[in-house]
Amino acid sequence: MKDLVAGIDIGSVATKVVVFHQEKGEVLSQAVSSTGVNPKLTAQEVLNKALALGSLSKEDIRIVSTGYGRRCIDFGDKVVTEITSCAKGVTWIVKKGGLSPVRTIIDLGGQDTKIISLDEDGGIRDFVMNDKCAAGTGKFLEVIGSRLGIAVEDLAELAERSTQKITINSTCAVFAETEVISLIAQNKRIEDIVAGIHSSIVERIVNMIRVVGERDSIFFCGGGAKNSSIHKLLEKRLNRRIYLSESIDPQFVVALGAALN
Amino acid sequence: MGYHLVRALEFLCPVCRMADSSKEKIIKGIEEEFEGRYPIRPIAERDDKIEEDLAKGIQKNLELLHRYSRPDHLSYYEEILTTSIRVNELKLAKEEERKIIGIFCNFVPQELLYACDSIPVRLCAGTYETIHPAEEILPRDICPLIKSSLGAKLLGLGYFELCDLVIIPTTCDGKKKLGEILNNLVPVWMLELPQKKDIGSAEGLWFDEIKTLRERLQQFTGNKITGKRLRDSIELLHKRQEVFYRLHRLRRHNPPPINGRDFLLITQTGFYDDIDRWIEKTEGLCDELKHHLQPATHSSPRLLLTGAPIIWPNYKVLNIVEEAGATIVADELCSGTQFLYEPVEPDEWTDEAMLRAIANRYLLPSTCPCFIESSDRIDRLLSLIEEFNIDGVLYHLLRLCQLYDIELYRIRQVLKDRNIPMITIHTDYSQEDIEQIKTRIEAFLEMLSNR
Repeated sequence: MKDLVAGIDIGSVATKVVVFHQEKGEVLSQAVSSTGVNPKLTAQEVLNKALALGSLSKEDIRIVSTGYGRRCIDFGDKVVTEITSCAKGVTWIVKKGGLSPVRTIIDLGGQDTKIISLDEDGGIRDFVMNDKCAAGTGKFLEVIGSRLGIAVEDLAELAERSTQKITINSTCAVFAETEVISLIAQNKRIEDIVAGIHSSIVERIVNMIRVVGERDSIFFCGGGAKNSSIHKLLEKRLNRRIYLSESIDPQFVVALGAALN
Repeated sequence: MGYHLVRALEFLCPVCRMADSSKEKIIKGIEEEFEGRYPIRPIAERDDKIEEDLAKGIQKNLELLHRYSRPDHLSYYEEILTTSIRVNELKLAKEEERKIIGIFCNFVPQELLYACDSIPVRLCAGTYETIHPAEEILPRDICPLIKSSLGAKLLGLGYFELCDLVIIPTTCDGKKKLGEILNNLVPVWMLELPQKKDIGSAEGLWFDEIKTLRERLQQFTGNKITGKRLRDSIELLHKRQEVFYRLHRLRRHNPPPINGRDFLLITQTGFYDDIDRWIEKTEGLCDELKHHLQPATHSSPRLLLTGAPIIWPNYKVLNIVEEAGATIVADELCSGTQFLYEPVEPDEWTDEAMLRAIANRYLLPSTCPCFIESSDRIDRLLSLIEEFNIDGVLYHLLRLCQLYDIELYRIRQVLKDRNIPMITIHTDYSQEDIEQIKTRIEAFLEMLSNR
């Protein structure tokens, strides 16, 4: 069995590749690109990019695919779901960082939010995902950001400048958009509206955590974990420290987990 | 309640072929024949595309099933569900003045229907394609089963159009109002169900309701339900339950001799087919299965299916689960095992005792969430988990079927306390969430395999 494994996470928003050396236990290279309309082609391109970065050749590696597009590539060796991959990736990161074992993972993705409950050994005990509606997912931020003309990566900073609490009542992204329009019409400050959107996502995540049962330690990953406002709100709301990935960009945790197969 | 003549319509195929009548004829029929004070005037658009899509969905289900090596006897069930054989038989029966009675849910005593020489047909529908036409009348926020069933009637599809009468128990709000609307299109009797299941309070209401049903059926069909006829029909249904129970128990074997999809195919053929033929064929099937039991293995996860009804051809979730490598080996569905499981057990063959036994059978064993307390359902799930050596539970929720959704919280905690894994799939009859469901199911199966 080859020691070099490329984990390809074909998500709804971005495609991530991590090339991992299993024997050495280290990440050799990583690459990301937006998934676009041709996930198979994108996956190929991102993989090539990662291989080039690590000066590696395709012949030397095994390929494990995960994420929504996990079945759309024809050059993979194994297919695993993003839930299993996420649990593996987080368990590895935590071990490497010498942290206490994680029992609850919050993975805030572009289309799905997953809460994964782990047992002592890192095995999956239970998990929940949002149903097909986009409430409490990255999509929610994207929809509102585009309505306000603000890039997703700039939303957190804006939210942190909020001075007045606004509650967004709709959990549906489409209805929330309507609600935001009426808040704009009431001359509410953009900072406060954006903070309200962040709180709404956090409430939704907290409800999902309650379903599997909140247990320490809690770890936050996925593209959404790059949003510092959501991280702070989650810590405040759950009244405890929530760990972030330090050894690898939070967006790559699932791809790393796939590469651990 | 308004009565009107049901027009004899030409049928080509029970499920996929619509009544051979033009749009104009359907509208005219509804308007002319309605006798109520405040009529409604739905416009059923006939649409060939609906029938094509329906046929495609059915074909896809069959293609997936045909990939497996299956018992020969299964071709009979497929034939009944996908051709016009049974519809043609029912048309002949109608010509011989026999009444076809449509029923919903599991509370209409079939013993009474057989005893007055009528033919029961269960109408709960699983067709996505008939939902859109029903949305002309029903609000968006109603469960797909109600919409799908009304749509089938509006379009003149399938068995619905053959029914001289439809009997609907007052289970959920959707069924109650479905009855009110359907009564504009076909005579409907509502069967009033108690809210509490314990026989003490039900005795007055439910037993009287069953007695009244007998009276009305006698008037409606012109056939007297004598003690002998009632006993004969109880014994006929005993035979059906016996063979069904035999089939059900065969699934305890590991690996089970049939998968969950085929099991529902068999059960739901019983919604429509001639009861004697179903019994005979299913006995043959059980004999065949018995001789083809494989040596015990434990490669495929054994799942228990519970929650909102899954009705042919709505095999979306079942196809995903079983194609991903798990097998549904038991269910608690009202469209599955609950339909045929319990026998009527009279203490003696007197008229009173038989009616009481019938009343009890259709009320007490039910695990429908429409009743106030749900402990029976939980007891049943736990006993199935034990008996069928279940690895995980699949909780199927139809959007806007609030009763099953409300019971989810307690059941999740009960199973968690016992360390029994469960996956909840919240969906409807549409195909748009297939990929999302696949991710959840595959992750659940990965979780089971790593336990």
